[in-house]
Amino acid sequence: MKKIFFFILSISLFILIFSQEKPILTFLGEDTPDSIVKNFTIDASDIPNDGGGGIELKWDSPEILKDWFISIIRIDEDGKRVLLTTDIPILSKQVRDVNSEEEPDRVIDSKGYNYWGILSKKFITEELLQILLDTFDFKEGLYSFNDDTFFVLSKTQMVYSKASWFNFLRLAVLISLIIISLTFLYYLNLAKKGKDLYIRKINGLDAVEEAVGRSTEMGKPIMYILGIGYVTDIPTIAGLTILGRVAKKVAEYETKILVPSYDPVVMTTAQEVVKEAFTEAGRPDLYNKNDIMYITQDQFGYAAGVDGMMMREKPGAIFLQGLFFAESLILAETGHSIGAIQISGTTETAQLPFFVAACDYTLIGEEMMAASVYLQKEPMMLGSIAAEDFLKVIIMSILVLGFLLSFLGSGLKIEFFKNLFDILYQALQV
Amino acid sequence: MRFINFINKLDKRWIYLVLALCIIIPFLFPIGFPMKTTAPVKSIYDFIEDSIPEGGVVLIGADYDPSTMAELHPMAKVIATHALSNNLRVLFVTLYPQGAGMAQDVIENVLREWNNSNPDNQKELGKDITLLAYVPGVSAVVLKMGEDIIETFNEDGYGNKLSDLEVMKEIKNYNDIDLMVELAGSAVVLTWLIYANGRYGLNVGIGTTAVSAAEYYSYLQSKQAIGMLGGLKGAAEYENLLSKKGVYWGRKDATVGMDAQSSAHIFFIILIVLGNIAYFVSKKQKGGR
Amino acid sequence: MALSSNFWIWIAAILTLAIYSFLYKDNPFYKFAEYLLVGISIGYGISVYWHNTIITKVFNPLVYDKNFLVLIPLLLGLLMFSRFFKNVAYLSRIPIAFVVGAGTGLSVPSSFEFLFKQVYATMPTKLDIGIIIIVIGVISTLIYFFFSLEHKGFVGRVSRVGITFIMVAFGAAFGYTIMARVSLFIGRIQFLLSDWLGIIK
Repeated sequence: MKKIFFFILSISLFILIFSQEKPILTFLGEDTPDSIVKNFTIDASDIPNDGGGGIELKWDSPEILKDWFISIIRIDEDGKRVLLTTDIPILSKQVRDVNSEEEPDRVIDSKGYNYWGILSKKFITEELLQILLDTFDFKEGLYSFNDDTFFVLSKTQMVYSKASWFNFLRLAVLISLIIISLTFLYYLNLAKKGKDLYIRKINGLDAVEEAVGRSTEMGKPIMYILGIGYVTDIPTIAGLTILGRVAKKVAEYETKILVPSYDPVVMTTAQEVVKEAFTEAGRPDLYNKNDIMYITQDQFGYAAGVDGMMMREKPGAIFLQGLFFAESLILAETGHSIGAIQISGTTETAQLPFFVAACDYTLIGEEMMAASVYLQKEPMMLGSIAAEDFLKVIIMSILVLGFLLSFLGSGLKIEFFKNLFDILYQALQV
Repeated sequence: MRFINFINKLDKRWIYLVLALCIIIPFLFPIGFPMKTTAPVKSIYDFIEDSIPEGGVVLIGADYDPSTMAELHPMAKVIATHALSNNLRVLFVTLYPQGAGMAQDVIENVLREWNNSNPDNQKELGKDITLLAYVPGVSAVVLKMGEDIIETFNEDGYGNKLSDLEVMKEIKNYNDIDLMVELAGSAVVLTWLIYANGRYGLNVGIGTTAVSAAEYYSYLQSKQAIGMLGGLKGAAEYENLLSKKGVYWGRKDATVGMDAQSSAHIFFIILIVLGNIAYFVSKKQKGGR
Repeated sequence: MALSSNFWIWIAAILTLAIYSFLYKDNPFYKFAEYLLVGISIGYGISVYWHNTIITKVFNPLVYDKNFLVLIPLLLGLLMFSRFFKNVAYLSRIPIAFVVGAGTGLSVPSSFEFLFKQVYATMPTKLDIGIIIIVIGVISTLIYFFFSLEHKGFVGRVSRVGITFIMVAFGAAFGYTIMARVSLFIGRIQFLLSDWLGIIK
């Protein structure tokens, strides 16, 4: 009796252990019960407009499958299997096979790949995954594994990833680049041919004469501050051009100009500019190199130095033209407190409010560049100012057109204009 | 008239002194000015709260140094804390050498406060949060990240290999980043907007100093940025939102400063009004003579 | 809380006060703190560049990964130093040409996209007073910065509207700047009162 009992026990134990140790993967047939599942297909294609190394997989997600998960395995033309993803909800509709360049299993351009989709209601176990990646003989149909059923879906056609030469999504950028370049070339050519391109007067520049004149009347020098930029900074270059004009006036009025500098190279350039202007005005004898001096290359040290000089020399007119940062108000305020006429200009938007508040005239942003062009009248620069203006006209026309279309379309509810507006709106979206 | 003369000749140092008092007194005796949450702040908060699934990634750009720390440091703290509270992963990135120290300080603070208050949900450096190493190049770095983040940095800010870190799991490029919040007082914000948002469509939020805030409003309107924290006020609003949610424990650096901020502003308004009166009166006098 | 016992907090507090002493008058304490700041930031910058550029981008790839392609950018970088020698100074133009060329190539299309987005966002998708103000503001400001036409008559009137918009923007920026400066001061006061003196929590 005992022996029989022991025998039964050992057999059932054996069955139990065996059944647990060796999970059974069974093929339940090619016919999947649900016709929708049968019609479920994955499309694989190269990701367009990219630099290669990527494949995009897409599928529909029928309502009936909304609780299901999909796992995807990639098999390359040599038969190597790589797991792309496991257990993502069907509803996500797409996945991209893109990997870091250091990844050995990444998608390589011009190598063929197939993808198999595995649909399941539960998460796929680690064991099943191993089987799928190692020994599984991929064939469409319904399978069961440890009593869980899952589907293996038709593989995709062989796909190849490739790098695109051109990103068509950015076509609008190319077109605008061409338009802008052609505009610039056109105006540069016009200017070179000697066509007289008009440039309007800049308000602050008219005040230069007044400021220099008044300062001379009071017997006070003029101070010209170039800010803390280097020669490579465009506002500093514009400031140097304006300095030429101011220095010429100074020479004509036979007064004195002080240029405290932050950067040695800017200082040397300023010396040349002033010397040339004095020569042009016919008074090279009045030029004094020591009036254009180096202060320090420390932001607030410079500000303190210039402030001190203002207090001692009490200039009648102060020009602040160039690149300014936090020291702008310190300088402009001291200038204001000694009662000088101040003409400022910079491109730093954060500093402009201080200048507007503390100075008599301010050249705002682009006005400063235009002022230097106005003074120099160099054809290349005149051409670029004209081209910029033309492009501003284009932008304004687009805005006005958009406004009109929107008014007619959305405001007066005329369908035709609404459609036109939508087309314009889409075209601008890059 | 004596009053106008007094204003015109007032020694600036008196103004400094009164300003200092305006700021110190509210710290000692808090007033509790009311505060409203503004839309740009709320939209960053809502984005982290609702639009990022658990395990998602928030990238925080720490491109500031001690000079603007007062405004931007509290922002870094609140955003990192908020992300951790939703079980998101947090990556700090910096395009300037000084930013690394700032980011490390935030990470250390946030982790300490979080772990002290949440014994059953401990967060770890390298697993939930880290700092990407500083790499020079600014816009080149931002562009390279769009291709491959791990390859761009190789290491985290503590010298560990990025590919070994759990926090970097399944992160390749901007496609795997749910939100980027750039904290800076300089034009580097534009670099993120132009390259990361413009080219790769990354969601960018801005945290900036009040000086720059006005400039960046146009990018909110154009939807290039999803939201903005402007100055100390922005940080304070965010702190309030987090405390309402019940996940903020640290010292509310920004909120306690708000009283001082408001009283200083009142002082400035008075100065501006007085200054203008003095200006116009003395101008009229001169004209009359 | 009480007075801090942390040595470094004392250092930070003393340096903060040294800088603020400038508000009363320029003095040696201020100068010392200022020079210290300049020196430290340069030193810190160099150490960070050394580790994150020379070590991780040049030394490690060369020595450990045997990636000899790194030699090309390294050589280009070293050419920058040719500026110190007058007879070969022209060589420094090669790396500069690379940087300028690549930089322009990268930034030009991106800047266009950026401009497009701004124009796109200014498009009036619906008609409300806000969007009308924005459109008027943008157009009149653009006209103010229009240099090929004299600002007379209609153009003159529009550009005056433009400058008004610009001034309003400056006013807003001015207000924000004051707010920012106050915030920075608040941060320091907070540090002094709480971390150093321990008067507030």
